[in-house]
Amino acid sequence: MENLFTNLAGSLRAALESTGLPAILTDTSMTMVKLTAILVFILLNALWLVYMERKVAGYIQFRPGPNRVGPKGLLQTTADIGKLMSKEVVIPKQADKVLFLLAPALVFAPPLMVFAVVPFGENMAAIDMNIGLFYFLAVASLSTVIFWMAGWSSNNKYSLLGGMRVVAQMVSYELPLVLSILGVVMITGTLNISEIVRSQQGIWFIFAQPLAFLIFFIAGVAECNRAPFDLAEGESELVAGPFTEYSGMGFAMFFLAEYASALVISFMCAILFLGGWLAPFGMTFIPGWIWMFLKVYLVMFLIMWIRWTYPRIRVDQLMGFGWKVLVPLSLANIFVTGLVMKIFKMLGW
Amino acid sequence: MFGEGLIKGLTITWKSLIGKKITVLYPDEIYSLPDRFHGKFRFDKDACISCGMCVRACPNKVITLETEKVAKKKRILKYEMDIKYCLFCGLCVESCPKDALGYEKDFEMCQYKWEKLPMVFVDEEPLPAEEKERLEEEAKKAAEAKKAAQEAAKAKAAEDASQGKEG
Repeated sequence: MENLFTNLAGSLRAALESTGLPAILTDTSMTMVKLTAILVFILLNALWLVYMERKVAGYIQFRPGPNRVGPKGLLQTTADIGKLMSKEVVIPKQADKVLFLLAPALVFAPPLMVFAVVPFGENMAAIDMNIGLFYFLAVASLSTVIFWMAGWSSNNKYSLLGGMRVVAQMVSYELPLVLSILGVVMITGTLNISEIVRSQQGIWFIFAQPLAFLIFFIAGVAECNRAPFDLAEGESELVAGPFTEYSGMGFAMFFLAEYASALVISFMCAILFLGGWLAPFGMTFIPGWIWMFLKVYLVMFLIMWIRWTYPRIRVDQLMGFGWKVLVPLSLANIFVTGLVMKIFKMLGW
Repeated sequence: MFGEGLIKGLTITWKSLIGKKITVLYPDEIYSLPDRFHGKFRFDKDACISCGMCVRACPNKVITLETEKVAKKKRILKYEMDIKYCLFCGLCVESCPKDALGYEKDFEMCQYKWEKLPMVFVDEEPLPAEEKERLEEEAKKAAEAKKAAQEAAKAKAAEDASQGKEG
């Protein structure tokens, strides 16, 4: 069980090699298969997460949530997506048509690209890059551009304001996000994500770096525009922010991409702070990739729980919190981490 | 402590998350409605005396009442409520002198077809002419017989009285 997926990939590679394909073709097709599997994984998860979010929201509000379509309402999101697909994509007359249509098509690209380096279990990263963490930070911030594209091309004041808010928010929260990871990187001395997970064998970094985890989590929630930091689409002020003019599948793409990026943040939380695929209390009879999944869903549930508990904060509060609280705190965290590491070294640990 | 309120909020939502759900899953289960529930209208044809008070009481002219007179008696041909204009004020029910109108514990009045919207309580053909004549004749005969019987009784009473005087 532990090596189910790695064995599958190995046998597929062996089968491809036995057909006498050149090595480069084998490699390319293996990568394609892996990326397709990741895409399917993300889409299925996004579908499930929309359902889960609605269930959690319902339960928190004393409601049963969706329970009509399919058993226990499980097919509700499928039906919603089916409906959205059959709808017309309305393009505003004054909109920049190319950018307007390009934005929803591209919005899935950054999360998908990030997932290329995410290890789903031991040796289960599609590409095990030695600057994986750096790559994650670089690619994850790309989605800012896409939201800005959507906001700008719609030629609508609400879209534009929403787009500007996304940019402002993402740029300010990118900083504490990066700085909070720095502590982890200092301890492990590597940017390779799999290596970071392996170095948590002794102690998970949530216990070694609790402040960093808190900052990373808050900044991550802000990064994927989830409540209470969903100012970009604050429906009481901006209709739907950058998505105001989108209809049909265009809207659905943004909607699903929100969950995909939330999934990315959950994966990063699980990998960097919750020990990734490492089993707690030596419960290794459950395979690593299931542990990974459980941890990801724990973080995901936490994000949803927070969303349905706290109200949306104001723009000035958001900026003030980011620059005046999170950034100094994360800098202090780096300083203390460095100090403690130096002391440990002097003590000869 | 800083952040105490945030934790408190989270505990509240956690409690409601695992708490009992209060939604009534409507088409599968319905609330037990109170006895005096103001729902659909009930019309008792036999109790109605076709006085037309309800028609006059209705502020939206929802009720149509058509009658015909057979042998000095009003017979209801049509009693219809055009429910799409009804505002459920209940003035018709209040104005009814014979309690022929009332409420039912049923509020599901949706229809798929526009034509089915009006609530038809009575829809009868007027009686054919022969039948009417026959009934009128019968009524006449009955009235005459009654009159005769009454006269006979009167005469008898008068006779009895005179006899009594004589006796």
